[in-house]
Parts: sequence; C-alpha cells; structure tokens
Amino acid sequence: MSAQPGTIASSAIIQEQRSRRDALDERLFRWLLMGCALLVLASLLGAAGATLWGGREAFAKFGWHFLVSTAWDPGNDVYGALVPVYGTIATSLIALLIAVPVSFGIALYLSEVAPPWLRTPVSSAIELLAGIPSIIYGMWGLFIFAPFFADHIKPWLTNNLGDKPDDGKLSWVVQHVPFIGKLFGSDYPFGASILVAGIVLAIMIIPFISSVMREVFQTVPTRLKESAYALGSSTWEVSWDIVLPYTRSAVIGGIFLGLGRALGETMAVTFVLGNAMTLSASLLDPGTSIAATIANQFSEASGLQKSSLMALAFLLFVVTFIVLLIARLMLRQLKLKEGR
Amino acid sequence: MSSLYLRRRITNWVAMGLSMLATLVGLAFLAWILWETLRQGIAALNFSLFTKITANGADGGLANAMVGSLVINFIGIAVATPIGVLAGAWLAEYANRTKLGESIRFLNDILLSAPSIVIGLFVYTIVVLPTTALTHGSTTFSGFAGGIALALIALPVIVRTTDEMLRLVPSTLREAALSLGVPQWKLTVQILIRAARSGIITGVLLALARISGETAPLLFTAFGNNYMAINPIDKMSSLPQIIYQYANDPGDAMHSMAWAGAFVVTMFVLLLSLASRLVLSRNKVSHE
Amino acid sequence: MNDSAATMNQGPVATPQATTSAGAPKLTVRDLHFYYNGFHALKGINMDIPEKKVTAIIGPSGCGKSTLLRIFNRIYAIYPKLEAKGEIVLDGENILDPRYSMNRLRSKVGMVFQKPVPFPMTIFENVAYGIRHHEKLSKTDMTIRVEQALRSAALWDEVKDKLKQNALGLSGGQQQRLCIARAIALKPEVLLLDEPTSALDPIATGRIEQLVEELKNEFTIVIVTHNMQQAARCSDQTAFMYMGELIEFSGTEKIFTKPGKKQTEDYITGRFG
Repeated sequence: MSAQPGTIASSAIIQEQRSRRDALDERLFRWLLMGCALLVLASLLGAAGATLWGGREAFAKFGWHFLVSTAWDPGNDVYGALVPVYGTIATSLIALLIAVPVSFGIALYLSEVAPPWLRTPVSSAIELLAGIPSIIYGMWGLFIFAPFFADHIKPWLTNNLGDKPDDGKLSWVVQHVPFIGKLFGSDYPFGASILVAGIVLAIMIIPFISSVMREVFQTVPTRLKESAYALGSSTWEVSWDIVLPYTRSAVIGGIFLGLGRALGETMAVTFVLGNAMTLSASLLDPGTSIAATIANQFSEASGLQKSSLMALAFLLFVVTFIVLLIARLMLRQLKLKEGR
Repeated sequence: MSSLYLRRRITNWVAMGLSMLATLVGLAFLAWILWETLRQGIAALNFSLFTKITANGADGGLANAMVGSLVINFIGIAVATPIGVLAGAWLAEYANRTKLGESIRFLNDILLSAPSIVIGLFVYTIVVLPTTALTHGSTTFSGFAGGIALALIALPVIVRTTDEMLRLVPSTLREAALSLGVPQWKLTVQILIRAARSGIITGVLLALARISGETAPLLFTAFGNNYMAINPIDKMSSLPQIIYQYANDPGDAMHSMAWAGAFVVTMFVLLLSLASRLVLSRNKVSHE
Repeated sequence: MNDSAATMNQGPVATPQATTSAGAPKLTVRDLHFYYNGFHALKGINMDIPEKKVTAIIGPSGCGKSTLLRIFNRIYAIYPKLEAKGEIVLDGENILDPRYSMNRLRSKVGMVFQKPVPFPMTIFENVAYGIRHHEKLSKTDMTIRVEQALRSAALWDEVKDKLKQNALGLSGGQQQRLCIARAIALKPEVLLLDEPTSALDPIATGRIEQLVEELKNEFTIVIVTHNMQQAARCSDQTAFMYMGELIEFSGTEKIFTKPGKKQTEDYITGRFG
C-alpha cells in the first residue's frame, strides 16, 4: 500500500497527463454529440430553406396572388395555390370533425369505462394499428371504401342533401337549409372526393389521437376522480367535469398533433382525392391537396411548375410547423402540471 | 329530485353507450382495413413475386422492389442510428435542462411529425440536385438519396427514444462510475448507452417500422427502377413506391400485385412493432 | 457553533479510542460550508478524520451527513448549482481546490452508494473497468488485481466460477460487495460508504459490517448510516450531525455511553422528532 516517493511523483505526472487527455477527449466528444443534435435543427431549417429556395421563382412571379389564385395551368404556365390549399384544409377539417369525437369516445372508454382486463389489449391493438403505413389506408380507400361510398352512401347524400339529385327534385332539407345543397351536390360518378379523403384521413388519425388522449387522461390523479365519485358523480360527470377540464390543454395538443398529421399526409389522400385541379364547393366532387399535387406532378414538372410545387411544399411546411408547435406547447402544459 | 336523478342516469348511460360505440366503430374500420389487406394480399401472394422483377409487368414480381426496400431502409437506419443515439445522449446527458437542449428536444418532437413529402423534397434539393449538376444534367435519383430521406424520418424517432431511455437510467449509475474517476464520455458510451441498450434498440426498431412504409419521401429521391438494382448509386425501386405505381395502374393484375406488396409491408411493420414491444418488456424485467 | 465544534474535535484525545487514533489525521475538514440553490446545507463543519479507522456519521435524515460524504470525493460537482466553501485537506492538499485533479482525487477516494449499482457488464469487467482507466495492466496482472479486490471484498469464493456472467444476476448483498470490490480495486486511501446496507437484508448487512471491520486495516473508512446500532458496532469514531451542523464528534463508545451534548443524547435515546 505504501508507495515510494519516486512512484508517487511519476504517478502524479501520469495522472496529470491523463487528466489533460481526458479533458480534450471530453471536449471533442461533447462537440460531436452537439453536432449530431444540431442536425435536428439543421433538418428543419434545411427543409424550410430548400423549399423556399426552390419556390423562389413562383413567389417572385406571382407574389401574394399565388395564395389566392385558383389557376393551375401548365399550358399557359400560370399557377396558384388556392385549390390544393383548400383541399388540404377541407380534408383535414373533415378528418378532425370525425376523428375528434370518436377518439374522445375511445379514450374515455379505455380509461374510464372498459373493464380493466380489456383495456391493455385494446389499447395495444389500437397503438399497433397507428403504425400501419399510410399507403395501406390509401389503398383501402381507393379499392374498397371509395367504390363502397359511391355505391351506397353517395347516392343517398346527393339525393337527400345535394342540389343535384338524380330525379331533379330538391329535398326539403336542401330547400330550407342554406349552403347544404352546394356542399353535397355532385354529378361526378365516382367515389373519390374531398369527403372520402377526409374520412380516410379520419380513420388514419383516430388511433393516433385516441392514444394521445388516453395517455393524457391517465395522468389525472386518482384522488381527484375518487373524490368526485365519492360525491355521487356518475362516470360521465367525472369525465366531463373533472377529467376533461384537468387535461384540456393536452387534449387540444393531441388534436393539433392529429391535425398536423392530417395536413401533411400524402399517401392516404392522393388515391382518393380524384386529383382535380378545380375548385368546387361540393365535398362530393374530386379535388386535390398540397401533398397530393406534389406527389402527382413533381416528377414530370420543370421550370415554373416545379418552382410552384416547391412553393406549395414551403406553405405546407410552414403551416404544419405552426400547428405542431401549438400542439407541443399545449401538450407541454400538462407535463408542467404533472411536475408541480 | 328523482327526475333529476333519472336525467343524470340517462345522460350517463347515453354517454357510456356512445363511447363504447365509438370504440366499436373505430376498431371495426381498422379491422376492416387490416382484413382487406390480409385477404387481398394473401390471395395475390405467389412464388414469382419473390423471384421476378417489375420489368415483366403483369407477369412479373416484386423482387427488385423488395431488395430496393431492404437496401434503402438499411441505409436509412445505418445513417440515422449513430447520429440519433449520439444526439439523444447529448440531450439526456449534456444538455438536459439547458435552453439549447430543451429547444432541440422540442424541435425534434416537431420533426417527428413533419410532412414526409417535404422531407423528400429537401433531400431532392440537397442530394439529387447537386449530383445532377455534377453529372451534367442527367437526373441522379439514387437509392442513397432515398436512404438519406428515410434517415431524416427515422432520426427524430431514435433521438427521442434514446433521450427518454437514458433519462430513465438511475443517476446512481452515473455517480458510481464518476466516483471511480471514469470520464463522462466513457461513462456515456460504455455504461449509460449500454444500460439503456434495449430501450434504444426498441427505438431503432420503431424507426425501422416507421420508415419501411414511407412512400412520399422516396418518390423524388430513390425514384424507382423496373430492374434489379443493388448498388445504391442507381435509381432504386421500393415496395411502397411500387404499391403507389401499381395501384394507380388500370390493370387488375397490377392491383393484386399492389395488394401483395401492401400485405408484405404491413406484416413487416406489424412484426417490427411487436418485436420492439417484446424487447422493451424484457428490458423491464432485467433491469429491476 | 464553529468554535464549539472545533473544541469537540479534541474530544477523541480524552477518550480511550483517541489514543489508538493518535497520529496525523487523514482528512481534515476546515470551516466547510455547502449551498444548493442558495440553501445553506452545511454550516461550518470542522473535523479530523483519523487514518485507518472507521468514522461513522449519524444524524436524522436531512441533517447533511450524506452531503458531507459526497463532498469528500467531489461527486456533488456533477450537478449544477451546488457550491462548497472551505477546505478539505487530504495528505496536506486541499481537494476542493479546482486545480486538484479529479482523476487523482477519485483514485485516492473511493465511494460505495446506498443501492448496489453494478455496471451492465460481467462481474470481472465491473471490477476491471475502473482500474483500466487509471493503470495499464497486462492481462495476467489485471486478473490478479481483480481477484485480490474480490477476495478483499469477501466475494471471491461466491463468484470465482462465474466471472463472465452479468453482474445484474447477483443478489443484492453480493452486488453491494461487488461495488466495494470495484472501489477498492483502485487501491484508494479513503473509502466512503453512503448507507451501504440500507437496501440489504440483515444477513447481507452483517457480512458488509464484518467486511468493514477487515477493510479498516488498509483503508480510512467514512461511513454514513441512519442505523445507530451499525455505527456503534463497527465504527471507532462517531460524528453526530443535526441541521447542517456537526454537533458532536468523538470516540464511538463515548458518544453512545456518555454523550457530551443534550441533542446527541436525545437522538441516541430516540427522543428526537
């Protein structure tokens, strides 16, 4: 154990050298790690920058008019974003309209209502299904759901709610409720439409939103729920008056997360939108979305058309970024609450 | 009093009924999608799918697309894993609770759900366009470019799981190693990453599941190729890209091949998700 | 308070143990203050820790005993917003001086923690891992060194046939002895034990206490414990801390039979809140 004076001195020198080398290694390692982490930032900035750069000709040529123009005419080289922007927003809103209440129901069922033995398998199944690639949803929409919709649902909708019924007689609803006739009037014979794309998107984001909501509901402290039950509240009252207010910001965050998904989705909607570059008030008419337009046209586009597609991509990126930003900020509030 | 009581009970029944209905409807649609994929996919499966290439059209198979998918996914994971693990380690071990660290963690969550088609265009701009300029104008789509695009999609998944898993490692392990005089970088690489290994593997498997179904980012990067390509500097086909192409084709024979492809991709993804769950549940047992 | 603590440091001289601990102290703590997030956690600690003896630090939870221990090898420095002021002198040098190399400090002062924390590697590697960072040894030398450490930690007979197995497979008590082996494999001069038996059953605890008894022939040991019987059983000197202050420090027998302070007596007889 007792060391000679000589070895002490030399071991001190060795340790000194070692310390210096460690400090250098440590610094290099830190820089390497930080560089990797900064790649995340670089990807986001790069994606925004690349699409903005690619779209510069379109932005320069059309200016703000690009946003409000419905033109998409490769023949005359005139392009406007309104049709795909409308399609993107309309399909996403329809998807939310359907997916939010259904997801809320599922999350409620799985966290408050279902017998405990059922909860884990059903939630795992739903989470597993959230991982199915979106192109599968698109194929199912194209080959199964759109034809089914055209045969069984669309005729009923156009005849009872639309302004272009097969027999030419407007229904009572159409005569008395404004706009509804326009929304559901269509003489397009196929299923592919804004509405079908919205429904397919809804099915795609339901597992996603309901998983987030279920997780969020589970963060509600048991004592809070128990004290409400102790006062004689019913399950529904506890859910609506306790669970939902407690988790409100995170629930909205989850919904926005789903919206972000829906806005940027390509493959689930491209097949079932009908790929029409025209604006129609009817939800049963075909349309397009930003992502679908890019997927369909980019490979064969050049010049100003390519630039316009890049400009569309830039718009999409900025909008989804903002939506996702809001989503994450809302979700974070619950985390802060938990931490308290 | 009792009428109020009755109203409350009815409201509760209706709400509970609706929530159960929502679950049933949601599950029914998802089951419908899965069922059709299985039914149509299995019906379309045959041996030549795995041996013939897409150049043979309706009489061909998907062999080149399967190989292409493997190569592109491999590149994606091989690029994203080291970068993602190191970035995650930085977030958890070096930048936890710093402003820059919190911001990157936050932005990583956004990248996680960024539109994949924009990622595709980004990689088109930074990989395909410059190489096109080098080759004097012939567009250089490549399996490599596709791999980079998928890597950017896999990256945030791996960063996030690594970060979360490392933060679950008890701090006593850090203290024990540091008290032996082990420097922090060795501690991170040799002990912490090893301790969180199964969690990190789960993240990599999840990332692989995520990218193996991605179509949009491949359209303008790997592009597609009707012949067998193994060298990633060539244009390359992939299963999702062929599904997209064949589903848009008017021919029924092409549709059934698209279903077969969809079946293969779906099975692959579901098996990967199951495997990742298995790895994670094992981990929980071994670390107690 | 500082003054009285300083006078109490001479306590050992008056007790039977003190004569056996004569000689230069291994560690000298001088006017040590510790702050976290502005909270004043240690208030002017002064004490001399004798060489090759077991010094126990006792006191109610939150009294700062673990904090004090964690300053002896500066492990606290890995967390932000923690600050130590004062001096801790080890062999004539102040270890709190930022110029004192962390490598040197940690090869001289080993530490074992509350819960056993084996590294996720084999039993052999667990012991060899720390050595590798400080010394370049040949394969045979390393094998010998690991065996020595495991023998000193009274673990060798139990693990000699499974050195290649994962350390996570050992029992809690074995894991803790492995952690002790890992710490003493570096041949430190001081060994810090932070409630080393609080996660163990009575049998495993007994073996660790026996081990501490044997190890004091080679090392200066400082043990923090909430278990007063443990302090009484295996220490030569005992320090009692309360609310960040060192109330009394003297021979263990004296502390437990004729404590010099009312607070110490109250704590030892269990009349403490």
